[in-house]
Amino acid sequence: MHMSDALLSPVIGGTFWAASAAIIGLATRKISSEADGSKTVLMGVLGAFVFAAQMINFTIPGTGSSGHLGGGLLLAVLLGPWRAFITLASVLVIQALFFADGGLLALGCNIFNLAFFPAFVAWPFIYRPIAGDARSGARLAAGSITAATAGLLLGAMSVVMQTSLSGISDLPFRTFTLFMMPLHLCIGIVEGLVTWAVLSFVAKTEPTLLAGGKTLSKPGFILPAFVVATMTIGGVLSWFASSRPDGLEWSITRASGKEALVVPDDKIHSFLASVQKRAALLPDYGFRERKEAAPANTVPPSPVDPGTSISGIAGSLMVMLLAGSAGLLLRRRAPETPDA
Amino acid sequence: MRHRGNYLSFPLPVKDRTAILILALYMLFTLSVPKYDLAGVIAFAAFPVLLFTATRLPFVPVLKRLLVVSPFILFMAAGNLILDRGALFRVYGFPVTGGMVSGTVIVAKTMVTLSALLSFISSMPFHRFGTALRALGVPEIFVTQLQLVYRYSFLLTEEAAMMQKARDLRSFDGRGKGPIVTAKLIGSLLIRTTSKAERIYMAMAARGFREGLAPKPRIPLSLRELGTIACAFVLFVIVRIVF
Repeated sequence: MHMSDALLSPVIGGTFWAASAAIIGLATRKISSEADGSKTVLMGVLGAFVFAAQMINFTIPGTGSSGHLGGGLLLAVLLGPWRAFITLASVLVIQALFFADGGLLALGCNIFNLAFFPAFVAWPFIYRPIAGDARSGARLAAGSITAATAGLLLGAMSVVMQTSLSGISDLPFRTFTLFMMPLHLCIGIVEGLVTWAVLSFVAKTEPTLLAGGKTLSKPGFILPAFVVATMTIGGVLSWFASSRPDGLEWSITRASGKEALVVPDDKIHSFLASVQKRAALLPDYGFRERKEAAPANTVPPSPVDPGTSISGIAGSLMVMLLAGSAGLLLRRRAPETPDA
Repeated sequence: MRHRGNYLSFPLPVKDRTAILILALYMLFTLSVPKYDLAGVIAFAAFPVLLFTATRLPFVPVLKRLLVVSPFILFMAAGNLILDRGALFRVYGFPVTGGMVSGTVIVAKTMVTLSALLSFISSMPFHRFGTALRALGVPEIFVTQLQLVYRYSFLLTEEAAMMQKARDLRSFDGRGKGPIVTAKLIGSLLIRTTSKAERIYMAMAARGFREGLAPKPRIPLSLRELGTIACAFVLFVIVRIVF
């Protein structure tokens, strides 16, 4: 699932480079505050372990093919999210430099797709609530398989979005998604099974190793439930949104006889309109290419609309980000109240 | 200064961190070439050709690596070939479609950028790469991590290869190669790895290691380095515009 430079535009590659670099910077700050040299060495050696473990192939029964362990979720369980992210990022850098797996510009995307989702989404929100302290075999299996699959699917979806937004490939978004998702679902299930088997072995022989991932307090179900609900509403229910005019459009139509007011044709309005046209990644909650004139006599479109899904999810994520940032600002400004 | 072995036999005229920045600029310019501009990509192939000829690196190992193009890249190029069938021009009556050109550009960009990256990293010892990253302000923990991964990946892959060989010699008709047995092998390797990490840390701590391998040097880019980067930038802009 490594992205290649040739499929990315400089803008998308640069954006994800900046995002990955920012997360690496944040992770190093979190880790530096612990000032534990032994964990730094453990991270380095476990990074090397990932290379070694990927060499050991296993046959997949019934398929005639073989697979190998990815290692993202395993590292998150052993090291916690921040250290696992740094370790995975270093593994990806070595793979890019020495094995030409991916490219230099694509490194930011690869770090985001293959390290961020297992460490910061799959492990805290899926693995930990399900697997708990890894004492129950069934919960460990369910947690490992679900988390590994989810992490891989999210990474694969991210690859599709990055490629589509770069505009270099002619593959339609829907076709690309339909190709990538089932394939990575199968890969994720196999990865989850192997991860579960490794963790089961470790839990029986060296259970103390599994205590290394407890760097976050146990997350509740409220936040993940809200995230899932937001994604469902933004990504799926938005397809069925009413196409009738909203309150403002209705009022304008009643008052002026037109659906929208005429925009004045002066320089400022024209300039701002051209800026908006260029900057809008998802104009009118859809993809740009869909705005070209559709040929006549086409079949009516199905309600499944990828552009609307992406707009809905992107909008939801931005709102959450703004709300979280505002909350952090307010928290810092509010004076501490003494205990009663 | 000349080095023997696998590294430079002709020194690069720039400092290591300057070379990294120039490489990054080069990647950006190469990848900014439009999807139907094959001439532009070929023009940018001059940079890895220059690296190979100047450093006398063996080209055959890199070529072997390039020939094993990622199936994902081939899939994407094939997608363009199938979907973009509008003829751009004709050659002796044979229509050359947009998909043919854009697919070729995708594969060419991959080869050019990868050959530049491989030739660059082959001409710079990894410890100098780490020093250059520190000089560029990369966090010390991350650079230490990179160097530890690089160092111990050789040891652990050797150990994994021995385990794999031992398993292969004891398995018949594919027995013992299933996921469960493999997971136990990996688990056992993991436990040995963590024990090894403890011993490594104790050895390093006895030699003065605390949190990182080297203090972070704070040396700003000199005027000469900035000038070199600016010259490279101008050269890339000229190539980009001309081709």
